[in-house]
Amino acid sequence: MKLGELATQIGARVLTPPRRRAGVEVTRVYAGDIISDLLREASETTLLVTHLASPQLLRVAELMDLAGICFVQGREPTPEIVAAAAERGIVLMVSPLDLFETCGALHACTHPAGPAEP
Amino acid sequence: MTTVSYPIQGGDYARAGSAASSIKQMLKQIGVEPAAIRRTMIATYEAEMNVVVHAASGLIRVRLDPGQIDVEVVDQGPGIPDIALAMTEGFSTAPDEARELGFGAGMGLPNIRRNSDHFTLESTAGRGTQLRFTIRFAPQAAAAAPPPRPSSDASACRGCLRCVRVCPTKARRLRGGQPQVLSHLCIGCGACIAACPQGALGVDGAADAVLPTLSGALVVPEAFLAQFGPGVPAERVVAALRELGCDRVVATSGWELALRQAVVAYARAEATRRPVISPVCPAVVHLIALRFPSLLPQVAPFESPVAAVAKSLAARPAACAVACPAQQAELALGEPPQMAAVSPKALREAILPRLAPPTRATCADSGERCPPPAAGPEPVLEVSGLRHVARVLDDAENGRLGDITVVEPYACDLGCCGSPLLAEDPFVARRRRSAAHAAAGAEARAVRRRRELVPRPGLRLDGDMRKAIEKLSRIDALAKRLPGSNCGLCGAPTCAAFAEDVVMGRAAERDCVVLAGRQEDVP
Repeated sequence: MKLGELATQIGARVLTPPRRRAGVEVTRVYAGDIISDLLREASETTLLVTHLASPQLLRVAELMDLAGICFVQGREPTPEIVAAAAERGIVLMVSPLDLFETCGALHACTHPAGPAEP
Repeated sequence: MTTVSYPIQGGDYARAGSAASSIKQMLKQIGVEPAAIRRTMIATYEAEMNVVVHAASGLIRVRLDPGQIDVEVVDQGPGIPDIALAMTEGFSTAPDEARELGFGAGMGLPNIRRNSDHFTLESTAGRGTQLRFTIRFAPQAAAAAPPPRPSSDASACRGCLRCVRVCPTKARRLRGGQPQVLSHLCIGCGACIAACPQGALGVDGAADAVLPTLSGALVVPEAFLAQFGPGVPAERVVAALRELGCDRVVATSGWELALRQAVVAYARAEATRRPVISPVCPAVVHLIALRFPSLLPQVAPFESPVAAVAKSLAARPAACAVACPAQQAELALGEPPQMAAVSPKALREAILPRLAPPTRATCADSGERCPPPAAGPEPVLEVSGLRHVARVLDDAENGRLGDITVVEPYACDLGCCGSPLLAEDPFVARRRRSAAHAAAGAEARAVRRRRELVPRPGLRLDGDMRKAIEKLSRIDALAKRLPGSNCGLCGAPTCAAFAEDVVMGRAAERDCVVLAGRQEDVP
């Protein structure tokens, strides 16, 4: 699914310039706040969902060629981080919902058939 | 073998990860497979963060060998009293400030061990820790492909360096006052030909001054027919060309259209990876083989329109006015007898007298009469101009163009309308583009490509990875001594390109005025 579409559907605001937004294809979403986990799960088709709006996370994204990061609870990173992400072609977005609700909305988008398997 | 070291400052979260970032660059330069780069990044970043979080300072030493990378991380930190405990997932002694940033989850060391092929950890409490890991990788094989060649006239060159600076793949050099091209890097786009104010550069085998005797069919880029101003319609150009001896004139546009239809059909029915890249421009295909080899499987399995024409007409005597060196190289792909290449400039000079005086502008807007073969509802993204093409290919390589079905990239602005060998502005030429593509007739078709596209080893320093690594470290050492101002006086586009030239034996250190000056200072 496209990153731009995902952002629209879950009501997230994309922070990086729109040039690259439309084409970014995401095949998986991973949520967490532990750098080691994010590092391991990041890939060029992954969207990470996290509270960590830090320069360190951006470095991880750069090293692993990550597609995009969705911050939650309306917590925006600094303009420096947004600018650096734009330069590296990493899409940043911020969701007004909390982590649980954001993941719920993303799950509904990526699994349109119904609720998660038990 | 080459070794590089990176000092790390404990507690410096801002710079943390920069060593991993440089190592990534290095691995890409010697052609390491992406999966191995990924594993190296995970392990190196975790190791680097361990020093930042726990130690006062440390050092990452990287040893690069053909087939493997050894990383040693030594720190002056508190040491690990119980290594077995430290290796347990979830065990951590990280301070709160690190945990707030998402570190200190007790997964670092297990992550390193999981992603490396060899792992050792030694530590003395109170002294420091020494971590070593190795990641193995396979050297990638690469085969050579015939490179296109622009030609040059040394006597006309005045050494202005424009070709050197404009070349998108840094293939141009000025040596001993003569323009040279490094054929292993050249993609035949013709940017240098367009940039040369002296007209010293051209297409090899299609000299501007010589027009061969024409007979049989003459193939021309459609834009060629729109090169003679508003008063000269395509029909008159075609008539003038026939007076030169050829019995028919074929515009390549019909073949371009046939290729587009074939590529779209292929994308819908057969392609597994998107976007499918149209091989319409041979210069771009060379660029992909050189810079974006991972995209080669996405190039649709057809010959370029020029190669298709050459193969179809090869049995009869025919000639082709080539728009760039890359097209010239395509003619050579045909089965013998090959088509002769003709310079559009020579062709233009030959027919200009036959076209004067121009009639009244009866056909000022032939574009209206026959719209160009536009994409219409077809899912084709046309990209032209190498700057844009490179960006789009970069996006495609990073999986950011999943919404695009077919990319049709042209090296020149507006496709062959922007050829460096054509005089008319590409936008004007496109507007005046004529009905000539209809003249291509029913024979225009797409030709399936039988040969496999192989990566061009241009960026590799040596076929032997061991030697490549050795050269990489020598280039690195020399680059540090160069001024870094990219002045171009040595004849290379950048100091980095010059350092590579010296190590590869293509230039001498004394060619750099700054280095030469320094040596004179030494008594």
